This record gives sequence, structure tokens and C-alpha cells, in this order.
Amino acid sequence: MSWFTNLPSWARWSLAAAVGMFVLTVVQRVSGTDLLTEEGTAQAMLRWSIPILLAGLGGLYSERAGIVNIGLEGMMILGTWFGAWGALNWGPWGGLAAGLVGGALGGLLHAVATVSFGVDQIISGVGINILAPALTRFLSERVFSGEAGGSVSQSPRVDGFGNFTVPGLADFLGTIRDQEIFWISDVAGFSRGFVAEMSWFTLIGLLTVPLSGWLLWKTRVGLRMRICGENPNAGESLGVNIYGHKYLGVIISGGLSGLAGAFIVLELAGLYRGGQTLGRGFIGLAALVFGNWRAIGVLAGSLVFSYPFGLSLVDFNAESSGGATRALLLVIAIALAGVMVWAQRSGKRGDAILAGLFAAIALVWYLGTETAAAWLPNTMPYALVLIVLLFASQRLRGPRTAGLPYRRGET
Amino acid sequence: MAPAIELIGITKRFPGVIANDNINLTVAEGEIHAICGENGAGKSTLMKILYGMQPADEGVMRVFGEEVTFSSPNDAIERGIGMVHQHLMLADQMSVIENVILGSEPTKRGVIDFDAAKAHLAEVGRAYGLTVDPDDYIDTLEIGERQRVEIIKVLYRGAKILILDEPTAVLVPQEVEELFNNLRELKQDGATIIFIDHKLQEVLEISDSITVIRRGKTVATVAASEVTAGDLAELMVGEELPSPETGASTVTTDVALAVTDLTVRDDDGRAIVDNVSLQVHRGEILGVAGIEGNGQSELINAIVGTYAAETGSIEMAGRDIGSASVRERREGGLGYVPQDRHREGLLLDAPLWENAALGHQTAAPYSKGFWVDRPGSRSQTQQIREEFDVRTPNVDVSARALSGGNQQKLIIGREMTAEPAVLIAAHPTRGIDVGAQADVWNQIRQARANGLATLLISADLDELIGLSDTIVVMYHGRLVATLDPAEIDPRTLGSYMTGAALKGDA
Ligand SMILES: Nc1ncnc2c1ncn2[C@@H]1O[C@H](COP(=O)(O)OP(=O)(O)OP(=O)(O)O)[C@@H](O)[C@H]1O
Ligand SMILES: [Mg+2]
Repeated sequence: MSWFTNLPSWARWSLAAAVGMFVLTVVQRVSGTDLLTEEGTAQAMLRWSIPILLAGLGGLYSERAGIVNIGLEGMMILGTWFGAWGALNWGPWGGLAAGLVGGALGGLLHAVATVSFGVDQIISGVGINILAPALTRFLSERVFSGEAGGSVSQSPRVDGFGNFTVPGLADFLGTIRDQEIFWISDVAGFSRGFVAEMSWFTLIGLLTVPLSGWLLWKTRVGLRMRICGENPNAGESLGVNIYGHKYLGVIISGGLSGLAGAFIVLELAGLYRGGQTLGRGFIGLAALVFGNWRAIGVLAGSLVFSYPFGLSLVDFNAESSGGATRALLLVIAIALAGVMVWAQRSGKRGDAILAGLFAAIALVWYLGTETAAAWLPNTMPYALVLIVLLFASQRLRGPRTAGLPYRRGET
Repeated sequence: MAPAIELIGITKRFPGVIANDNINLTVAEGEIHAICGENGAGKSTLMKILYGMQPADEGVMRVFGEEVTFSSPNDAIERGIGMVHQHLMLADQMSVIENVILGSEPTKRGVIDFDAAKAHLAEVGRAYGLTVDPDDYIDTLEIGERQRVEIIKVLYRGAKILILDEPTAVLVPQEVEELFNNLRELKQDGATIIFIDHKLQEVLEISDSITVIRRGKTVATVAASEVTAGDLAELMVGEELPSPETGASTVTTDVALAVTDLTVRDDDGRAIVDNVSLQVHRGEILGVAGIEGNGQSELINAIVGTYAAETGSIEMAGRDIGSASVRERREGGLGYVPQDRHREGLLLDAPLWENAALGHQTAAPYSKGFWVDRPGSRSQTQQIREEFDVRTPNVDVSARALSGGNQQKLIIGREMTAEPAVLIAAHPTRGIDVGAQADVWNQIRQARANGLATLLISADLDELIGLSDTIVVMYHGRLVATLDPAEIDPRTLGSYMTGAALKGDA
């Protein structure tokens, strides 16, 4: 497998995606559905993935700077409220900016608590998660409840950014899709979901991925942020301002979570509503782990995790009732069988047995049902991340000192 | 001409300890100035103050005649001071180049110019004969290579005043020689060097003048040419210079530890330990000589159980422990002194009594059934403290607050008081001062007389030759020679370790 690990990361993930598409194509033939590689599924997946992506990238900055940020969810909630408020006053750009600032304020609070006052990072994060919904409810009562369509738990409707389609490419992919060539057309159709009727905000979200990779790994401020998560004492001994860079990482983290909240308001819901973040901050953290604390990995994680959600949007409605989601069980069985073979080959008997067992369970489940339960898509991200942790934990390399307290001059 | 460094009346107090008590130190420009003193004498503390890592409570510092106050290392770096710390300060999961440039990154509009950085690194490397691959990750490097990266970090910044806190502790003689050549070259170029070391021969060889510190106070400053190692030892601890000698053989015929055909492979499938077989008898000390990176650390890791061996068997007193967990092995009487005390030996932020329990946490006096026995642990730790002369105000301070040598003494004490049947000791006296070193050697000798089987790894060849009953040489993962320590000197042993003597034989 060393040729694979030697590839650049974008090539690795693309290859994995191609193989994944192949599995999906085969499975959907077997299971008699065509939703798995449908353009609509891809579109829904992409839209659902952006909040998870932004939260995950938020987690990336914070943990790279050595601070675990359980408060992503709370900062995202701040982003939803401020996003709606900004959008009502100044339109979508105002919503985006206000959401960013609102989340960043949450990040600042977390930074003050953990960096300056040495509060336990988990406790501070949980505190922010409790504080944020209460605060937004209070603010809603003051600001939204007087307006038409608004209440203590809801804002008036707001407008999103609007969509665009990449000219030429979308048509080209559409043509290939209509040829109905095995796998090729499936890939083309699915890919078309990424270039047709995409929201501008989605594009902004996707652009944060290379931007973050560049900032953290190519720039001075990025290197200095990362030393905070790897060995702050080493940084300190070379004159790096550790406190300052930790603050920066956590504030950026909050800002990105706030953006995620603004995205939910502007692009998914069209208004602010209490409790609309649905734990996406935590799924973002899961994507961070899945993606091995890398920007592109977080993107891959958020796409994989939102796939079941996206699929459920087209799978549970008037025409369809979970047939495609059931087919996902077979996909999981195949993936686990792959893990089993890989574990067996690298001499990890225990892992191989465990993977085989899970694969068998998924297969039996698949064979025993006609339609999947509606709760299945919601649990899949968590199940996936558990599986990843179970089998790949030794290959995961998170920042060494994330979560640990740091105080200057104590070496 | 003003001296490069002038420290006047430096005082530094920690809770319960005065680390520096009105210390005076003058270092002339362009000299190599050694600082000697017992463990906990206050050497590292003084250097951290000079480097701006810790503020002094009292005192005045002058650099090239100018009075300075440093509030962070940045201020010291700006004045041209660089420091290599006693314990490595590297980010394991970052590349060499990232570690080196951190804090003074060459940039073009905020973007790091890695090409320029690598070019400068190569230049520095060429000038001082220090080679490293800039793209290697630190956690793939041997401890000696890591030490080299630390030194390069300082040179990269073009420091005019270098502080080296025990840079040779982890190096083998050849590497020490190389380092000394580098230091002489630096001195030639006008650099001023402050150098801390417990090996007095090395101190005499490299330095121009020597300052001795005892219990936080300056005792004397002498010219290196006017003293002997014996004089120095007396200044430091008021004792004669000890030497490691085992005395009469106590080797029995009972095999305590038997390793047979052991092979360990790395991730790429390369055999790092290649078909190694060895036996250690009760009452025997088996020394393993070898330059870092030839498989010694993997060998001991496999015996302790932190690495999985691919093939081969490991037996303790006739019982196969090859598939036993680390805890089972430890409970079965395996003692272990790891090579990197910060990484594997201690929990730096935990109190001493918890650290003393590590590895023995399931047995009395550290636990009673399911529960941790706090009073038992404390009094046991207290005993270790007294018996092994661990200098600390009490056993409730965190391990971080101990000086490097005292941390090492705590680890030795922890392992020896548990009375193991087999001891795996990697560099047991690393960082320990000459006086305490003799005590550790005595402890090992006594245990040996009572039947302890020891597998000893040490970069200190005098220690290896002086303590061992038999020495095996490890080279490229194999045991290539078995030597009688009575008939060998460090020089010949060194040539076995580099493989030179082997080629001669063939
Ligand atoms: N952060 C700290 N908190 C409390 N006490 C400390 C701290 N750092 C050092 N000390 C104490 O200060 C004294 C001097 O320690 P220092 O590290 O300077 O000794 P040293 O001369 O470098 O010894 P060694 O040769 O063992 O490295 C010791 O008694 C140590 O316990
Ligand atoms: Mg020291």
C-alpha cells in the first residue's frame, strides 16, 4: 500500500471517491434503486455538508492551536441568530458577516476562559453550548418577537445568496450521464450535483478548505498556531507568542462555526429557529477526527457524513420510503469487508474478526429488511466515526497537546 | 572589552527551594565556559533565566556590557543568545525544517519561503558538518539525531552566545567528538559558549574555564588547564571521583531472561532487530553496546512489551512472556528504566508519589486491592527520596519541579526498590552527577550480588565496560560480537560499534 500513501492527499481522496462510486453503482444495481448516484442526492449531500465542513474546519483551527473546542455547537447557534439578524438588516452578505462575528465572539469567550484563565477546555465548551441557546432566545425575544413572522424562537424569513451553474461543464456531464454507461454515467451524474445549481455560499464554504490548508501549513502564522498544539514549550523557547496564537486559532474556530450557523439560516432553513443546528457541531468534530486533522480530510469527512442525510432527503418522501437507505447497509457491509481484508493482510487478527462481524451484521440487516428505518441516516455519521476510530486510531495523528493546559514558563 | 555575559547576584526561589542563591557568573567573549554542579544545584535554572524563560527574583544581567532584562526568550534571541535545553524541545509530528525555522521563519509576504529556509539550513549544515534531512519528521529520528536538530536550531539563528544544557548526555563518544569539533569551530568564529555537562573528562577537554555551583551558590571559577577531574569532583560534592567497577563476578548458571531468534520489523517491513538471541543469568549484567539506531531501543521495547516482535520468543525464568501484556511482564518482576525519562518515564504534572507508583501501581505498597494506597505510596516515595537522594522539598511536588538528574534518580529508585528479577536499564545514569552516579552503580552492584539480572544499554562506554560482566555489540539490528569487558577499552569498543573493527576482522 505504500504507493497509495505516497500519493498527494487530493489524489488519495479522489481515488477513494472513485472506488466509492464504483461500489455505490454496483450496489444500486443489485438493490433496484437509482437514488444512490442520483444528481439530486449529490446536491442534497453537498448542501448538508457545508455546515459540518465549516464546523469541522473550526475544530481544526482550534485543536491545531491546542484547544479542544466542544463549544462548536454553541458558536454555531450564535451564528444562526446573528446570521438571521444580519441578513434581515443588510441582506445575505450582512448575514454572512454577522454570523461570522457572532461565532467569533463565542470563540473569544472560549479563548479567554481556557487560555487566560486555564478553565478546563471541555467544561468551557459545554458551558458555551448551554449559554448560546439561552442567549439567542433572549435576543430573539428582544429583537424578533416584535416583527412580522418573528417570535421568541423564530425570526422572519430571510433570503439566501442564490444559485449558479457552471456553464458548459454541467451540460457536458449531463450528456455523459444520459449515455447510461455503467459507472461512468453514474460518476458524471453524481458530479453534476457539484456544478449545477450550487449556492454561492456553498462555493465560499468549499473555498475555505484550500484556504485553511494553505494558511495552516504554508504561512508563518499557521506554523506558529500549529506549534501551540504540538509542543507549546518548544514554541515558547523560540520566542513564539503562544497565548496570542492560541487566541487566534480559537477565534477563527468560532468564526467558522458562526459561518456554519449563517449557512443553515440562509441556505437550508431560510430563517432562524431555535434548535435548528441539530448537533452539527458535534458531527463537525467527528469529521475532524475522520479527516485526521487535515483540511481536505475534514471535507471528505463532512461529505461522507452528510451522504446519508442527503440521501434520506430524496429517499423518504411521497415516491420513496427508504429503499435506497437500505441499500446503504450493503455498502457498509462491503466497506467493512474491505477493512477486514486489509486488517488481515496487515496482521491484525483481532481487527479483522471484528470487522468481519460488523460486516455480517450489516449484511444480515440488509437482507432482512425491505426499507430502512427513518432514524438510520441520523445515526450513521456517529457509527461511521466509531468504526474509523476503531480501526484506524493508530494511524490518526491529532495534535499532541490539544486539550492540555498550558502556562508560560513551566518547562 | 566587556565580558559577553555578566550575571551579578542572581537569586531565584521556588516554593520550598532556593534554586539560585546570589549567583555571580562572568563569561568572557569567545570562550567556552563550563558550568558544573550536582543534580539540583541550579544550573538549568540559571540558564533559563539567562535565556529569558524564567524571571530572576533578584540580580542584574549584562550582555556585552549592557544591562538587560528579559521578559521572554524573544528578548534573549534578539541579543544573539541561543539555548539547547536539557530536555528536547521538539514537535514530534512536525518536520525538521519546521522545527528549525519556527520563530524566525523566512517569509515572502507572510508565506514561508521553504526553499530559502532549506538552503540556509544546508549552508549551516555544511559549515558545521551537521547533516539532517529537512523533510524528516522528528518522530522518525533517533535521539542523537534529535539532539543534532536542537543544536542546528540554535546555529540557524546565528546565535553569538550559545547555551548548551547537557548536550552530550545522549551522544556516543564519536558523536561527542563531532560536537566538540563543531564547538571549537564556532569558537574560532568568535562565538561564546556556555556548556553544562556531568562528565568531567569532557568538561576538561572542551572548556576554557569552569564555574562550579553547589546548592545554588557559586563555589569557584577556575581555568580548565589548572584543574584535574578529581579537583572538580571535590569542588562539586567534596568527594573523590568514583569509577564503575563490578568487582567479583556473581554470575550464576540460572537463566533469568532468554531472548531467542527475536525479530522486530518497522512499518516498511525492514528488520530493525534481526534474529537476536541472548541470555542474561541471575547475578549477571549484560551490556549492549551500539550506536543509537542500531536496534537497541526496539530490542528493549520488545522485551518490555511495548513493541510487538514478529518472530522469536522471550522467556523470563523459563516462562514464555512473548504474548504477555506489559503489565503482566512488570508484575512478573521486570524492571525498566526507559531511555527518555520525559517521554516514557514520568508524568510531569503528577506528584512524585504518583510517579513512584507507575509500573507498580497494582502492588503493595502503592495499592490495597482495588484502591490506591495513598499513605503507603507516600511513605514508599519518601523512602526512595532518602535512599536515592532525590533532592526535593517533599513528595507532593510535581515531577516537573525536579531537576533533570533528580527525575532520573526517582526513576532508578522506583525500579530498584521494587526488587525486580530482571532489570532493563537504558542509560541509567543519564544526567546524574558524579556523586550520585556512584550511588546508582552501587545499588545495581548490590542487587546483582543478590541475583538481579540486568540488561544494560548505555552511551557512556566507561559505564558499560565498568559494570557489565559481558558486552554484546549490536550493529544494524544484529548482535555482531561478544566481548569481555576486562579486555577492552572504550576506543576498541567504539570501533566495534561503528562496524570498523568488524570489517577489519573479515
Ligand atoms: N519549575 C520549578 N518548580 C519548582 N522547583 C523547581 C522548578 N524548576 C527547578 N526547581 C528546583 O530548583 C532546583 C534547581 O534545579 P535545576 O534544574 O536548575 O538543577 P540542575 O543544576 O540543572 O540539575 P541537573 O544536573 O539535575 O539538571 C532544584 O531543587 C529543583 O527541584
Ligand atoms: Mg539541569
